[in-house]
Amino acid sequence: KRLSFSVGGTQVKDVVIKPDAPSVLLLDKHADYIAAYGTKKDDYEYTLSEYLRMSGIYWGLTVMDLMGQLHRMNEDEIIEFVKQCQHESGGISASIGHDPHLLYTLSAVQILSLYDSLSVIDVDKVVEYVKGLQQEDGSFAGDKWGEIDTRFSFCAVATLALLGKLDTINVDKAVEFVLFCMNFDGGFGCRPGSESHAGQIYCCTGFLSITGQLHRVNADLLGWWLCERQLPSGGLNGRPEKLPDVCYSWWVLASLKIIGRIHWIDKNKLRSFILACQDEETGGFADRPGDMVDPFHTLFGIAGLSLLGDEQIKPVNPVFCMPEEVLQRIGVHPEILS
Amino acid sequence: MAESEEEVDVLVQRVVKDINNAFKKNPNIDEIGLIPCPEARYNRSPIVLVENKLGVESWCVKFLLPYVHNKLLLYRQRKQWMDRDALIDITCTLLLLNPDFTTAWNVRKELIQCGTLNPEKDLYLGKLALTKFPKSPETWIHRRWVLQRVLEECCPRGTGDKEQGGPDSQARADRLQRVLQEEMKVCSEAGGRYPSNYNAWSHRIWVLQNLAKGNVKILHDELSSVKYWVSMHVSDHSGFHYRQFLLKSLLGDANCFLDKVAPGLPCSPDEHCAHLSKGEGTSAEIQRTTVLDLFDEEMELCTDLIESYPGHETLWSHRRHVFFLWHHWSKEHCPSSGKISLLHSSEGTTGSPQRDATGGRTTQAMDVDAVLDAGKQGYTQETKRLKRGPLQDCGDLLSEHRFIVKILKGCRNTEQSRFANAYKKWLDSVIELFIAEDPREDEGEDPAGLMHQQPHCSAYQVLK
Repeated sequence: KRLSFSVGGTQVKDVVIKPDAPSVLLLDKHADYIAAYGTKKDDYEYTLSEYLRMSGIYWGLTVMDLMGQLHRMNEDEIIEFVKQCQHESGGISASIGHDPHLLYTLSAVQILSLYDSLSVIDVDKVVEYVKGLQQEDGSFAGDKWGEIDTRFSFCAVATLALLGKLDTINVDKAVEFVLFCMNFDGGFGCRPGSESHAGQIYCCTGFLSITGQLHRVNADLLGWWLCERQLPSGGLNGRPEKLPDVCYSWWVLASLKIIGRIHWIDKNKLRSFILACQDEETGGFADRPGDMVDPFHTLFGIAGLSLLGDEQIKPVNPVFCMPEEVLQRIGVHPEILS
Repeated sequence: MAESEEEVDVLVQRVVKDINNAFKKNPNIDEIGLIPCPEARYNRSPIVLVENKLGVESWCVKFLLPYVHNKLLLYRQRKQWMDRDALIDITCTLLLLNPDFTTAWNVRKELIQCGTLNPEKDLYLGKLALTKFPKSPETWIHRRWVLQRVLEECCPRGTGDKEQGGPDSQARADRLQRVLQEEMKVCSEAGGRYPSNYNAWSHRIWVLQNLAKGNVKILHDELSSVKYWVSMHVSDHSGFHYRQFLLKSLLGDANCFLDKVAPGLPCSPDEHCAHLSKGEGTSAEIQRTTVLDLFDEEMELCTDLIESYPGHETLWSHRRHVFFLWHHWSKEHCPSSGKISLLHSSEGTTGSPQRDATGGRTTQAMDVDAVLDAGKQGYTQETKRLKRGPLQDCGDLLSEHRFIVKILKGCRNTEQSRFANAYKKWLDSVIELFIAEDPREDEGEDPAGLMHQQPHCSAYQVLK
């Protein structure tokens, strides 16, 4: 399934796209796949992934909205579910009976923003929850147990920006912490001293965009590192010598878009790679051609194609990974470098 | 096969018991795994213990997981009571099957807080989960919480120098030492089980930052212990990044050890370092000669690996980082530089770094003391040199260019040529740019430039 080919005796970590791989966008199939996904609730896999259910719902709804199919999802049921996941602390959990966490608090706020229904939860308590997780050094803990990660800095400011409450935290300190996680290659890691990683770079550039601090990124240097993620197959990886992956294609591409360097990669080749990751029978996208599909990669495949300018899909916002029209409606305009 | 709900209940309860009995029977279980087995055979338990390996036959997982999963959630919603022993057993089974179930780890945190669960036992469960799921983010996150807790127990609030030396203090120091060593082993093993395991290697950095703050001996030990490992894993970017972190720490970059994680951390770095085996001093005191040796050795390793294993992006990326660190360090500590070059064994010279007085044409042994004394004067020399205009000499850069030429000469590996050319381009633009102008000057404040974290004042800032 995972292929590598040999060039002059070296194993190149990449995939080969077969000539019969899908090369056109199968939108209807993908919509059917997502619409059917939530109905198999007795599935073993469904139990296994319950710990991230709220994010799963956000992935499914966002990709449906980008394809103009949001009406096929069960709005009432979803809104009721989100409501039930808010805790006394104000935080929101992945599912009923699970513990609240910043990751799922952001997903829930994104879901309710898509449905224009933020008022169904106690917004003030969400703000208090997020605010309470900021540490003295500006960083954010993911929940009351104290784990620190730049991902959580992104979740915090993204949640507050969607709620119009960014001013409730110490933004300067938060920025300072994220900048401490910047490396010599222009990238960012999860904590100070950690390796640059495309997922963390997405979170940190997104964070700096929301807080209006993109001028503090060395865009040329970071753009250089990001462009080096493109492999001969056209796909992008998240770190040197890792296999290409549709989700990393999104994180790298969105980061390049945010720092105004999206034209630095070969868009046509990336488009071919993403299209080759579709499953023609079941619908949905996989991480790499021929692998099993899932909603996560389906969202990032569709969102990536949107950033590449596919007109069958609604324009996506690179910072929030939500339809631009939703952000227009709520008046959130994250900074993008040109 | 069990079909009715009651039958499933009976079966599952028996399996949970079997798993926990296996741990009682053999406290040295060191690996878990799933045995592919679509159907139950005979009337036998699906739990198999062979030597130190614990296996679960795959047919029972589809009954087992939903059962323990739902049971824990009912408890969490206060719909069903469970005593502490049952909670320990249920979360153990659940986490071995699904270690990213955050809430189950949180239940165990509460059990540790109330003294029911021993932190080391919990670290052991995580270690087993990592044998099957070496990336599991939640397992690593939980470990950091437990380790923080152990650290607090080893350095209780209010204990300072006066109490050190007592038997309790020694026992605590030994415990911390054991936990630290075990943690490094867990990281190594997880790093070996999954290539470029980000969570394992960033955890290892966290352990150094929090459990072994600035302890030079530990940093040196780590540097030598992973040397062989990276040589056998030449495409593992995370392993090489770990070396870069160690080098940077040994250069005395205070930001590698920012006390940022837990504001409630009970003791200062010095206090809990004292609990660990004593290093030869703080990293700030490290001698220049040692630094030069470090760089020389690392560049030699890098050259050797690039030549032996052509076409690995990781190795070329490592070279960029090491060169960048070297370049930056030499700018600050030997401001008359450009004149110290690292000569690599591949160029026919071995041993200590050489000083290149005339921009790379002749070499002589470096006068370390003179460089040390040059300290403050250096700024003026540097100022003059930069005011003269564009760079006229840069010995270290030259040797890198020579290395590239050597690699490209007769190179038949297309990837290797591509990476060598990319490295050349990187030197020409990033390094030259860095030399030509300090990126920090663009913003008029201290933004995140190339080396924004550097606490030292660079020659460029003096120029402003």
